[in-house]
Amino acid sequence: MDEEVDLKNNDPILEAQQLTRRFGGLVAVNNVSFTVNKNEIFGLIGPNGAGKTTLFNLITGLVQPSGGKLLYCSKEIIKLRPHQIASQGIARTFQNIRLFGELTAIENIIVARHIHINSNVFTGVLGLPPAPKEEQNNKQKALELLNLVGLSNRATEKAHNLPYGDQRRLEIARALALEPQLLLLDEPAAGMNPNEKQNLSKFIRQITTDFDLTTILIEHHVPLVMGLCDRIAVLDFGQLIALGQPEKVRSDPAVIAAYLGVG
Amino acid sequence: MVGFFDTYGFLIVSMVIGAMLGLSLYLPLMAGQLSLASPGFYALGGYIAAILSTQVFSATQELFPVPFLLLEMLVAGVVCGILGVIVGIPALRLRGIYLAIATIAFVEILRVVSLNLEITGGAVGIFGIPQPFQTAIEYLWIAIPLLLVSMFFLYRLEKIRVGRAFAAIREDELAADAMAINPTYYKVLAFTLGAILAGMVGAISAHFLNTWNARQGTFDASIIYLTFVLIGGSRSFIGPVLGGMIFTALPEVLRAIADTAGLPTVLAQFFRDGRLIIFGLLIVIGTIFFPQGLVTPELLKERGIRSWMKR
Repeated sequence: MDEEVDLKNNDPILEAQQLTRRFGGLVAVNNVSFTVNKNEIFGLIGPNGAGKTTLFNLITGLVQPSGGKLLYCSKEIIKLRPHQIASQGIARTFQNIRLFGELTAIENIIVARHIHINSNVFTGVLGLPPAPKEEQNNKQKALELLNLVGLSNRATEKAHNLPYGDQRRLEIARALALEPQLLLLDEPAAGMNPNEKQNLSKFIRQITTDFDLTTILIEHHVPLVMGLCDRIAVLDFGQLIALGQPEKVRSDPAVIAAYLGVG
Repeated sequence: MVGFFDTYGFLIVSMVIGAMLGLSLYLPLMAGQLSLASPGFYALGGYIAAILSTQVFSATQELFPVPFLLLEMLVAGVVCGILGVIVGIPALRLRGIYLAIATIAFVEILRVVSLNLEITGGAVGIFGIPQPFQTAIEYLWIAIPLLLVSMFFLYRLEKIRVGRAFAAIREDELAADAMAINPTYYKVLAFTLGAILAGMVGAISAHFLNTWNARQGTFDASIIYLTFVLIGGSRSFIGPVLGGMIFTALPEVLRAIADTAGLPTVLAQFFRDGRLIIFGLLIVIGTIFFPQGLVTPELLKERGIRSWMKR
């Protein structure tokens, strides 16, 4: 592990310290500590059931940890509710897509701009300033995001009618609508063909730079992770077994053992 | 024309009231919360109006002053709103059918309390509630503006941040939470808005019906209001309004059919008293064949586009 080297020239945005989550007797995340630096693309890999999604759920507050600390921008976020964490700038997508199915593509994005609108029931209902202007701005922003993910021609389509790949992209656009600093992508390439995976890889790199993001992604497709991520953490049975640059992780005996089994 | 209003005035006002009660159930449903608490707030609003008008405002005029009625509606709205928040925060931790059961319990608690309190007149209730108008139809002066305001409110609500937050929670509460929307806040808000509307309608109703007792807010009423929304349409505010009007008028229509000469007595009896059986059947049939109700957003959109193209 060469964490010290990375820490010297970067400032951490997310810091997990001895993070643990037990489900009954099962330890889904076991004493995991790592640091994610600003503007980095951080990969999270591991066999099925290694605790990757649980780790995402811990970071976004959907699951409470059994122990340990989680610092975002040097502030403890463990006690916060999911919506509070999201409003601090952590947005995510879900492994099993969770769009607002009955709403249209553009509505899905406008919904996620919730914290960037200030109008309340009264100013909104009566159309008093700043509500109309805000609504206009938000629609514009939403259209831009739809355009970015190449869905501008499907804006008024209901989300559950979109094809699978479009739903995945819409979910990323929805997460970006929050204007987050930290973006968590849970298996964004699931169900994509090699060509689409290639495009997605470029897309993730592009948004990370353009939106000044830090991206953490869970992915099973090893070549994609190796080519895309600055650093990779490997989980196995809830434990962090390797952390570092892709080349280092690839040749780590513990990782090879976890993926291929000890011979 | 005067004859028509004399005969049907009571029914017309009841239909408008029914439409608003449908809306009061529709509001929490916008955020995906099946609450049957409306009759409870409706009964409470009625008691507030009944007690204020018979014991506090001692009007000497022949007709009860309308501003007093408006004041009662305001008080009923505020009290029901506060109670809505107090009940909503714990109750909305429950989901789906469990919330429905809890709200039925709330309605029952209010009913039993009002049966046993002295101020609510016990089982007899409060009667001789002063009338602000000479005829029933004149209640429309209050009921129609309130209905229009509520409809405008909902029309706008569906287009703004708060309404979108409701829709997001209805679609996927967890995802909404992860999108920085506070589910508890918006669920309680939707529930409370419904409570305020039900309370204000109750205040009108108490005067309109002249007497108010514990039979006003019952489980039966919950089911009837639910029919308004489920059959009328639960995805657009037009649905509950139409549903409320039609299903308030339906028993009268059935009664008229029952009076037809030559009908077997059993059938006539059924038409007269089988209202709840028919409503229950409609809920079952409706949820199978029209899960979104009769008035769906698609239907409205289609009509909208057609009338726009004709222009």
